[in-house]
Amino acid sequence: MLLRKLLTGTTVLCLVILVGCSRGEEAAQPQPPPARPEGKSVDSATAATIQGRVLYQDGQPRRNRIRMAADAVCVQQHQGPVYSQEVALNDNGTLRYVFVYVKGQALAGYSFPTPTEPVVLDQRGCLYTPHVIGAQTNQEIKILNSDPTTHNIHPVPQNNREWNTSMPPNANPLVRSFPREEVMIPVKCNVHPWMKTYVGVVSHPFFTVTGEEGTFEISGLPPGDYTIVAWQEKFGTVEQTVTVGASETKVVDFSFTPGGSTD
Amino acid sequence: MPDQPHDDPIVGRSLSGPLLVASLILLATLAWALYDEFYGLRPWKDYQQHFVHLYTQHLQERIQEQSAAEEELRRSPDYQRLEQALEEARAGVAPEVERIDREVNDLNRRISALTDVFATARGQVTAMIYEAETSPAEEDKEQILEEVERIRRQGFDARLPVPDGTMETLHYTYDELEDEYDQLRERRAFLLAHRVEVTQHVKELEEQRQTYRNQHIIGLAETQLRGLLTEARNLELEIKQIHVQDTELVDRCESCHLGVLEGRRVGIELTAAGIGGERLFASHPAPELLAIHDPERFGCSPCHGGNGRAISSPIQAHGRYRHWLWPLSYPENYQAGCQQCHARDMVLEHAGVLNRGKELYRLRGCIGCHRYEGFDNEPERLQAVRLQMRELELQRAGYELEIQRSIQRAENPDTPLEEARRLFARATNLRVTISNLEAEQEQLQLRARDLMREIKLVGPNLKDVRLKLRRDWIPVWLHNPHAFRPTTKMPRFRLQEEEIRAISAFIWQSGTSGEMPPQPRGDPGRGRELFETHGCLACHALGEGEDAVGSRFAANLSRVGEKVNYDYLVRWIHNPRQRTRPYCPREKRDLTPEDYAKHGLPFRFDFEHSTCPNDGAELQVQNMTVMPSLRLTWAEARDIATFLLTQRSQAPETYAGADFMDDPGLFERGQSLVRNYGCAGCHEIAGLEEEERIGTDLTTEGSKPIERIDFALLTHQAEREGWYNHAGFFERKLADPAIFDQGKVKEPLERLRMPQPNLTDADITALTTFLLGSVESGYGFPPQYIYQPTDRGRDIQEGWWIVTKYNCMGCHQIRIGQPSMLMTLPRYQTPEGREKLPPSLIGVGARLDPEWLAAFLANPALSAANLHRNGVRSYLEVRMPTFGFTVREIQTLVRFFGALSGQAQPYIRPQLEPLTNREWVMARELFTHPAAPCLRCHATGDPLHDRNATAPNFLLVKERLKPGWTRRWILDPASIIPGTAMPSGLFRRQGNRWVFSGPLPPSLRDYRGDHAELLVRYMFYLTRQEQRRLSARLASPGSVESRRISLNLVESH
Repeated sequence: MLLRKLLTGTTVLCLVILVGCSRGEEAAQPQPPPARPEGKSVDSATAATIQGRVLYQDGQPRRNRIRMAADAVCVQQHQGPVYSQEVALNDNGTLRYVFVYVKGQALAGYSFPTPTEPVVLDQRGCLYTPHVIGAQTNQEIKILNSDPTTHNIHPVPQNNREWNTSMPPNANPLVRSFPREEVMIPVKCNVHPWMKTYVGVVSHPFFTVTGEEGTFEISGLPPGDYTIVAWQEKFGTVEQTVTVGASETKVVDFSFTPGGSTD
Repeated sequence: MPDQPHDDPIVGRSLSGPLLVASLILLATLAWALYDEFYGLRPWKDYQQHFVHLYTQHLQERIQEQSAAEEELRRSPDYQRLEQALEEARAGVAPEVERIDREVNDLNRRISALTDVFATARGQVTAMIYEAETSPAEEDKEQILEEVERIRRQGFDARLPVPDGTMETLHYTYDELEDEYDQLRERRAFLLAHRVEVTQHVKELEEQRQTYRNQHIIGLAETQLRGLLTEARNLELEIKQIHVQDTELVDRCESCHLGVLEGRRVGIELTAAGIGGERLFASHPAPELLAIHDPERFGCSPCHGGNGRAISSPIQAHGRYRHWLWPLSYPENYQAGCQQCHARDMVLEHAGVLNRGKELYRLRGCIGCHRYEGFDNEPERLQAVRLQMRELELQRAGYELEIQRSIQRAENPDTPLEEARRLFARATNLRVTISNLEAEQEQLQLRARDLMREIKLVGPNLKDVRLKLRRDWIPVWLHNPHAFRPTTKMPRFRLQEEEIRAISAFIWQSGTSGEMPPQPRGDPGRGRELFETHGCLACHALGEGEDAVGSRFAANLSRVGEKVNYDYLVRWIHNPRQRTRPYCPREKRDLTPEDYAKHGLPFRFDFEHSTCPNDGAELQVQNMTVMPSLRLTWAEARDIATFLLTQRSQAPETYAGADFMDDPGLFERGQSLVRNYGCAGCHEIAGLEEEERIGTDLTTEGSKPIERIDFALLTHQAEREGWYNHAGFFERKLADPAIFDQGKVKEPLERLRMPQPNLTDADITALTTFLLGSVESGYGFPPQYIYQPTDRGRDIQEGWWIVTKYNCMGCHQIRIGQPSMLMTLPRYQTPEGREKLPPSLIGVGARLDPEWLAAFLANPALSAANLHRNGVRSYLEVRMPTFGFTVREIQTLVRFFGALSGQAQPYIRPQLEPLTNREWVMARELFTHPAAPCLRCHATGDPLHDRNATAPNFLLVKERLKPGWTRRWILDPASIIPGTAMPSGLFRRQGNRWVFSGPLPPSLRDYRGDHAELLVRYMFYLTRQEQRRLSARLASPGSVESRRISLNLVESH
């Protein structure tokens, strides 16, 4: 206890000195959150898996064309028209860029190490690649600019800190993280108003973003009752509850319609 | 026989003798008490009786004069005509008026009779309805309402008078009664309105007669005077007092000074001569002061001093005794009373003596040794700003720490979401707060820089002595500055020969050594011409004693040729602010070229290069003199310097050699003496830049307890001779600062240090007045009386400090009735000379666009390239100098002029309606009309033409002038600037508009608009091309025709 007090005291002192030395600069580097009491970890022997597809019910959605005329550099990056990725329909009738994650009390009491591998978000052709990403809390998000033009990265979160940083061409990758859960954080580029991405931040590794096949798989889950949530940029969220036993694999499909969603 | 009783004292001795004596004493005491009660302690009764006597006499005389005057008036034909018209009009309307009056009279009687009946009826009905409304039961309600209805129908009897004098009785229902009542009242109102209409004409004639009378008879009417006479005869002998409740002020001065406010109350003026030569009964001599300081609210003693409650004797009442702290001001110092509440006003209307005192305090360098709140306080303000900057820095660090902590806590997953959001918001808000702080910090930083520039010293920079002065002259000067230059600010110190040698040597040796770039000689004749015409005499003077011409604001240059180094003088005249070395306040020394070379920088320092290369501190880059740059060419500066070298009364070579000044052994002794005498209060001296003032703070010297003022061995003499008071001390000290050392045995360094300032008696009175008024808040006057103006008043108050600091009044007239220095010079007395005077600044706030004015003040050349000219009045020889004003000084000046003219701030330039094509044609014709040859006098930018121009270029109008003023100006320039070259009468009034006075050009004949207005709009839309076109048109052969027309015009007049 005494040690902890001493530690806190020293931290505060360091902070004071740090602030004293760094006044005038942008707010100093985010501090690692203080260590939390360790929770349980998942027993891989009994871990369960949930998998499924995200379907689109209404044939071919209308695709909105993006006009990039405001920045000639952006136009040069593309041959032919560019379409909005708001609703990205795969050839097999499934939806891409749907963020699927686990919500539920069943995970309370567990703690999950922060992945050391960063999530990469690239700005390429004046679009965000990939269009939607997920990250665990405090997991590093590495933002690249592959365009020969200047972008600004401007997340507008509710539960986390807002920031807005400029990235000129050839800028060093920008590494940031979000310490609090938030689904989803919209991120935009004010220079190129059509650019928009979303970051889903949850405190555990049970999330994924659907790809070209429109499928998802969440594995390594401890047995229990879960609410699985699928979030789509235009159509909102769909929830389903699932109970998985030890080492069980369950299939859960989601489907969205323009007017809302059906299971 | 019975024994003779012993000698019984009761029986045998009579006490009647002592008793008689005692009772006589008692009686005498009673008589004395009664006498004192009614006379002895009531000297004011005598005064009052005396006043009544003199006042009634005076009134009687006046009545006689007035009745004679009125009689004369009544006999004048004009008055009789008015009188007759009035009589006729009265007679004409008399029958009608009489008829109306009779009917109204009848109506009145009838109405008053009916009112009784109606009021009773209405009361009864109302009361019953109220009863119905408040009664709880429905049936009761209905019953009562039915009863009301019955009464209303049943009606009332009324006995009414009939015009013939009899009475009649009529019966009315309630409704009928009400109708009748209303009708009668309406009829009466109608009749009364009608009566006003009928007598309207009579009223007008009466007014006319009254106006005529007022115009021809000055003062009160005879009847009014008779009223006053009756009042005066019946004057009650009593204590007359002013009691101001708010401040618990009681002044009974009027118990004796009965006439002092009487004039103000009743509207007559009592002069001492008019009231039997008794000054004490005369009216207050400054009614304009009373108008802004209502005696009922301010009383008397707050301004004048004295013991306002005391009435037992003049000495008591005037507070001229030892234990009264605030004695009545002496007549010559009475303006000290103004200073008590107007300490922050540098220039105060109606207080010339006080203003002079303040000016002297600053100008003669009193301020070099004696701090005075508000005077030359730039160093203090600089310190305050620096302190404020440090505070903001700390505040900011605190906020940054708090942001860190908030974010850290918010990002901790254990913090509840709501709390986290609040903390994020808090961090965001703090970041915004910091950015606001940054804006504030930026302002403070600029302010600090500005304040460095605003600091000025009374005396010259002594670091430059080696470059500037003839060495051998210095000890002669120190010996007695007044012998060399009687009007100098430099006071005479009581120095021993040895001290003079040491001080001279120190000053000489501490000076910057080096060589000034050599300058070729100029033309002294041209130099004199430039000196006399460019405005140098607005601050300097030439000639000694009675022959001196020019101002005493700065040095009299009569003998400057004896002391000065030519090369230095040229540079000084070219730009006096240019230092030889910049001063670094952090290192407390002048920087050398080596300091710059160390950092690979050129030795360059000015407002753009004002940071120290060693440590980034803000440097003092200019000489701390108020002398501005006249933007002269080097050749002009050389001419003037060459002329000034001829100003001498003895050859410079005749000064005795002073080789001791190079003796290093004298340096330390000299330095300690210089420190002791406080030379650094007025001069910049190497190593002593941060010295404090050596004298007493005089801000509240006037309220210093008399026991703490050291009359030394003269105390008894002062008491005996009646000058043991503040005024006595100040006057004697200023006349002879050593006086209170008389008779004392002191070491040289312990003697009084104050030097001899060589003041005239008038100067001493002015300074004494100023010091007497320099009292603590609330000393003898209520603190809430202190003048603390807002907005307009404050802008004026602040502006005067800058105006007097830089002597704007040397060249410009700023107050009505107060001439500038230049206006008094012989050169400017001729009609041609007057046109060469700098413009009067009266009303300039209404004239000039403030933004333009700000730009002009920053650079009066109005050009970055051509500095050697006047930006506006290129035709004037007097040069408007560049003062190097700081942003705040410019802002203060602009606000000052705006406030003097009552202008709203900030100024938003009004949008004038653009001209139609037809209006362009018309305006052009007006503008170039032979009867208004505007371009003849106004500059056009064509050098050939502008040689003879005497007015500014029209192209400046749009940016420079305000349209409203421009219109007033072209209508009647003489009423704005008397004596201006611009003629009045260009327009004449026609109904509601002004039309051109000359023969109307055809295009304008059926124009219904205002011609002046049209011309103003034209001027505000005038372009360079348009002006060129006009000039060409004037120069074309057609103009011969126009000139002929103008000649005809002159002839026909």
